[in-house]
Amino acid sequence: MIWFSALVLIPLMAVVVTAVEGGWDVFWATITNGQTSAAIRLTVLTALGVTAVNVVMGPLIAWVLVRDRFWGKSVLEVMIDIPFALPTIVAGLVLLSLYGNDSPVGVDIANERPAVFLAFLFVTLPFVVRMVQPVLEELDRDVEEAAASLGASRITTFRRIILPSLAPAIAAGAALSFARGVSEYGSLVLLSGNLPFKTEVTSVRILSSIENDNVPAAAAVATVLLAISLAVIVLLDLIQRRVAARG
Amino acid sequence: MSIEVRGLNKNFGDFVALDDVDVTIPTGQLTALLGPSGGGKSTLLRIIAGLEKADTGSVSIEGVEATHLPAQKRNVGFVFQHYAVFKHMTVAKNVAFGLEIRKRPKDEIEHRVRELLELVHLSQFAHRLPSQLSGGQRQRMALARALAVEPSVLLLDEPFGALDAKVRKELRDWLRRLHDDVHVTTVFVTHDQEEALEVADEIVVINEGRVEQVGTPDQLYDEPANDFVMSFLGEVTHLGGLALRPHDIELESSPSLAGSVEGTISRLVRIGFEVRLTVLTVDGEEVSVVVTRAHARAQRLEEGRTVWLTPAPGAAVVPRMAAAV
Ligand SMILES: Nc1ncnc2c1ncn2[C@@H]1O[C@H](COP(=O)(O)OP(=O)(O)O)[C@@H](O)[C@H]1O
Ligand SMILES: [Mg+2]
Repeated sequence: MIWFSALVLIPLMAVVVTAVEGGWDVFWATITNGQTSAAIRLTVLTALGVTAVNVVMGPLIAWVLVRDRFWGKSVLEVMIDIPFALPTIVAGLVLLSLYGNDSPVGVDIANERPAVFLAFLFVTLPFVVRMVQPVLEELDRDVEEAAASLGASRITTFRRIILPSLAPAIAAGAALSFARGVSEYGSLVLLSGNLPFKTEVTSVRILSSIENDNVPAAAAVATVLLAISLAVIVLLDLIQRRVAARG
Repeated sequence: MSIEVRGLNKNFGDFVALDDVDVTIPTGQLTALLGPSGGGKSTLLRIIAGLEKADTGSVSIEGVEATHLPAQKRNVGFVFQHYAVFKHMTVAKNVAFGLEIRKRPKDEIEHRVRELLELVHLSQFAHRLPSQLSGGQRQRMALARALAVEPSVLLLDEPFGALDAKVRKELRDWLRRLHDDVHVTTVFVTHDQEEALEVADEIVVINEGRVEQVGTPDQLYDEPANDFVMSFLGEVTHLGGLALRPHDIELESSPSLAGSVEGTISRLVRIGFEVRLTVLTVDGEEVSVVVTRAHARAQRLEEGRTVWLTPAPGAAVVPRMAAAV
């Protein structure tokens, strides 16, 4: 508990304290500044969107990895982890060369909002997959067979038996992927172009505040992100409890 | 006839799990599929339930051709060795599952669940989660869940296999009584001959993917079709080319009976009310014989004594086979 406090709570408190040092008015003025609030909105909404995609795709990919047998499965296994293993700036380079101005695949999204979405998606993809996979592997086949012999269709079995068992893992993966999205920097700075009011995200905003020696402003943005992240984690936990208890 | 299985074959790769199996399970009875582990009992039961597909052959349940029906449509109750509970649902919800799938009215479900929980003595646990129950209680819950949908047949795969000996015995007696009340056609798999002999109306002995014999416990015990059935259902010894039970050998201290075989007692052990002897015959055969303590005392049996052995009149005997135990 003391360790937890030292490692997590004290730095968090420090950020919050720095943020409000200048008084409530300054704090409020900072975060309602047009450029800053645009960055916050873009970051949070994109992270939410990406998390939603992961919540749907993650369990699907995990399902395929656990239940299906196909050629190239082990290659896919390794590929899932690439976003984890790759330094984010390298990921950024990869994305830039793939979807940048001279895209070999003919998709040029440099300096556009989809670039932010794509970068978030790339780095967060493994979270839900890797959280769900072990749970799915541990699931008892008997239980699905019991449901089938009681008359449940495959869809009903998934909805009422499998999904509730996966819900905690999906929620945990979603929380990780949201937090990672909100804090992402390296993979998107190159492709997104960091255009204010358009593709500038909060991490870039925080960095430029620091560069301008405006630490309270950086801390203020950080505090807002902190509050939003906490809210999202609590919300995910509530949803997960509801799904897990549904039967 | 409730379940008719005809010409069933099932291979896993090049391993033959079921080899041309024909079985008829009578309506309303409690039938045991008995045999050693790996013999194909579960595979047969799972094919009947639609959880596994046969390579060839047919299954019909209550006169309905079921070979190509999915498990969902067979109206079969299935109970698994490891309970297969829905662990995020309460006991009552588990039992209600099949009825909810069938979209029965709420009050009917409630009523039926209450009835079933009473039947399996779990009324006071209705709102617990399965993890808060003992193994025996979980299996009773699984049984109630399977019975809820009024299945035309109830299939149990080693239902008491994961329980300790005492609970196992209790549940076995309880299943028998339950069956006498409910009368649903029931098939249960076991590798425990005592369990099958004690509980079942009829026993199907399965070994290496084939049906060795079908009959009542008495028929199997008294008239085993072959050496395998004989040895699987109880202790067996061999005397003069015959396989028979050690307690079905008459032992005399003088050669008074025709055809008796002479031998010497090489070992004598008293266990409770019986005395177990090993007799080395003049033909060099080691024969196990069980006699009562009174008999041993009357004849003053001891190691080294010469005795004469004969199969008792009416004893179950089968010719000894090459694969004799
Ligand atoms: N899904 C499967 N894949 C491969 N082999 C199997 C499978 N299911 C059963 N077997 C094999 O088939 C044989 C019969 O199994 P089973 O029907 O479970 O026997 P029993 O229930 O009599 O112990 C065993 O040797 C087992 O290893
Ligand atoms: Mg088995």
